[in-house]
Amino acid sequence: MIKQARTVLSDVTLSFESGGQYAVLGPSGAGKTTLLRLLNRLEDPTAGALWFHGAPYTQLSAITLRRRVALVFQVPLIFPGSVRDNLCTALRLQRRGREIDPKDLTWALELAGLDGAMLVRDAAALSTGEKQRVCIARALMTRPEVLLLDEPTAALDPTAARRLIESVVRLSRTGGLTVIMVSHQPEHARGVGGEVILLVGGHVVEQTSADQFFVAPATRQGRSYLDRTLSGVTP
Amino acid sequence: MNTQLIDPSWLQIACAAGLLLVTIGLSAARGLGLERDLTVAGIRTFVQLVAIGYVLGFVFSTDRPALIIAILIFMLAVAAWTVAARQRRPTNALRLLVLASLSTGCGLTLVLATEVILQIRPWYNPYYLVPLMGMVIGNSLNSATLAVERLDSELRGARDRVEALLALGATSRQAAAAPVHSAMKAAMIPIINSMMVVGLVALPGMMTGQILGGSSPLVAIKYQVLIMYMIAFSTTITTFVLTTLRARSYFTPAHQLREEAVAG
Repeated sequence: MIKQARTVLSDVTLSFESGGQYAVLGPSGAGKTTLLRLLNRLEDPTAGALWFHGAPYTQLSAITLRRRVALVFQVPLIFPGSVRDNLCTALRLQRRGREIDPKDLTWALELAGLDGAMLVRDAAALSTGEKQRVCIARALMTRPEVLLLDEPTAALDPTAARRLIESVVRLSRTGGLTVIMVSHQPEHARGVGGEVILLVGGHVVEQTSADQFFVAPATRQGRSYLDRTLSGVTP
Repeated sequence: MNTQLIDPSWLQIACAAGLLLVTIGLSAARGLGLERDLTVAGIRTFVQLVAIGYVLGFVFSTDRPALIIAILIFMLAVAAWTVAARQRRPTNALRLLVLASLSTGCGLTLVLATEVILQIRPWYNPYYLVPLMGMVIGNSLNSATLAVERLDSELRGARDRVEALLALGATSRQAAAAPVHSAMKAAMIPIINSMMVVGLVALPGMMTGQILGGSSPLVAIKYQVLIMYMIAFSTTITTFVLTTLRARSYFTPAHQLREEAVAG
């Protein structure tokens, strides 16, 4: 994947099992966000291909694909209006606003770790952590099979971050979703469990179970990354 | 009251230039640094209008529709190039896009006004076509400039919002709807303002010209009303076509924002 004459991702071969949990780790500029943007088809690779349930991405409608492979951005972007208005966005875009079932709204909110009573609140007045959860609930309203989370804990305090990670785990285990979460913080990846994918300089240098990765990384880059991040040195 | 038209002599025009000299002097006195611009603008006003006076004299005496059409196309092309030149990145694609939009908006307006409403004969009568088209293009040009400027800045500034909508399964048209609405509103404000105050705080140039030229004020007013409605119509059509096409140019067929379009 080349952006502005710079190779962002190269020789990347990855497969994701349905219902799995994946944490994508790596230093800044490793290509983590680009990977998620490719998976959501906000961008197309300059070489290579992506497949979804055996079909090439390019043969699928980008609109339909994005509803099945939902992306939540690092900075929570809230649309004007109430929490309910935000949650109804995707269905209104499909001109299905009248079909919205209140139970679906509550289901999405609770799965994202929010109380159903929040529906009437002004979304702009929420805390950053709550906004991030509203963004997750909003993405869930299209009933996606895959949820892509780009550093969802980046702007949160430790308590809010821990609660969000618990929600992510619940999404996968209770909601049956495939969750692919980009993170800067290894402890959050550890909380999610499942598999860890370590990206360095646009290459996948390690893909293994979280248990294995945090106990004994298989590569020198893995050990180096863990040493630096766990000792508090920002990569 | 003596209503006979005064034909200003060139000496009287030179005296009027004294007003501009005072303006230049005030600019210099207050350190505005506009002296050069005012001088160039003053000279251009004189040269361009004298030149167009001779051109119109020739055009009005011609009986060749092809020549009239060529003049109208020339006016549209100059307007399109002017709109593009006001933008940060004046590309040929933008020039063609503006030309297509102005041609649709102004062309449709002119056909409806001269063929359906006024029913002028012959259809290419330059006495009507050229000044009416000039008025319509002049105003549509300003609206088109505002529309492109606003749309570009909104789309670049609202990139996160646009991508958030795309990620939720919005089409590129849905994702760009708010910037397009904003651009259209910005482009329509000048004509709405003009229509609100016309006759109260401002007497339009064409009406003033007609009255000074000896027309009955009632006839001048009828034409002015027609002109205002024509401008409102052409501005709407032009900016609608322009913002729709321009917004589309920001996206790939797969509803992705083009990096080169939103960068910088």
